[in-house]
Amino acid sequence: MNPLPISWIFLKASLFSSGGTGNLPSLHADLLALHQATDRQFAEALTIGQIAPGPNGLWSVSLGYLTFGWPGAIIALIAVTLPPLLVLVVERLYRRVESHPAVEGFVRGLSLAIVGVFVIVMARLLVSSESTDLRALLIALIAAALAATRRIPIVVLILLAGLAGTLLYRP
Amino acid sequence: MADSMTTGAAERSDRPFSPLRFFGIWLALGAQSFGGGAATLALIRRAAVDQHHWATETEFVRDWALVQMAPGINLLGLVVLLGNRVGGAPAIALALTGLLLPSSLITALLTAVYATFAHHPLVTAALRGIVPATVGIGLVTAWQMARPLLRESRTEGAPSLAAGILILIGAALLYLRWERLSIVAILCGGGAAFALVRWIRHVRTPPVSQRLLSDTDEEPA
Repeated sequence: MNPLPISWIFLKASLFSSGGTGNLPSLHADLLALHQATDRQFAEALTIGQIAPGPNGLWSVSLGYLTFGWPGAIIALIAVTLPPLLVLVVERLYRRVESHPAVEGFVRGLSLAIVGVFVIVMARLLVSSESTDLRALLIALIAAALAATRRIPIVVLILLAGLAGTLLYRP
Repeated sequence: MADSMTTGAAERSDRPFSPLRFFGIWLALGAQSFGGGAATLALIRRAAVDQHHWATETEFVRDWALVQMAPGINLLGLVVLLGNRVGGAPAIALALTGLLLPSSLITALLTAVYATFAHHPLVTAALRGIVPATVGIGLVTAWQMARPLLRESRTEGAPSLAAGILILIGAALLYLRWERLSIVAILCGGGAAFALVRWIRHVRTPPVSQRLLSDTDEEPA
């Protein structure tokens, strides 16, 4: 593999994207056109990104590994780390106009819209999975109740959920 | 709450910045934030707002809104802003490295072993428990993000609160119904709508003397 064009493909995808999986369409188009990745690898990488710690956007690291091994993983990691630094520029621009009520209103409206979309994304994750049943809904409810107390570490919740899944869905 | 915000700011300025401790906190976040972006956001929120007071509840929500306007992974933008709040460029580097070192390493290692164990029935069963739990935790996080925004809107009166709730539900419905509509368009639409509400209120706000007289119309705080 030639590292330079691959780096550019990953960096470009992240630079012109919003959110952790916003780089998916661009990566998919470029890598499939070059026959460097398959649909199956994309699906696998996205799944691992959900399970692995850290932002879901690290699914790119998984894809980098699946397509080009460790060098690919490192390239993907650098490519997704650099663009978010631009938030410092965004913040500087924002501070200049912050005091205007319309600007403050824009950011608040944007945040509320994000929460609305976020809820649907979350609900879809549950509904779209064909393995969802009453037990799954019960796990979701209990996890939500425990998370709301803010007393139990999230990692413990996830471990308990994994244990519950193993017991409930054991073949 | 106003109380927690003021104490948060006070504690933050009192405590000296320890690079090693700061790095350690992010290492721990990167290593234990299993369960995807929602779980990571919840963990970061808990560390930054509840435990270490790097930002108040309101500042955190504002940072989270700002990173939506920046490219790439939102959580990393959030880490950059939080690092910048605590100690500028060195803190940004420490926070990013701390979060990404364990999480990206584990991601790559998981990928490496994935092919071997993906179809093991026990792994599949555990995942069927983890996915709904992630959803439950994510919904709680969504509520925690919305609450300060709606509370702030309520203090401005009923029209502001109604607009806030409408934008929240409207964005969800738009996203649900029209898959082809770009997310950026939905989010900016929500922003524009509230900008308009705030601007109209700004233009219409009577001088202080009149406002005092009409205070009885508003709900007691």
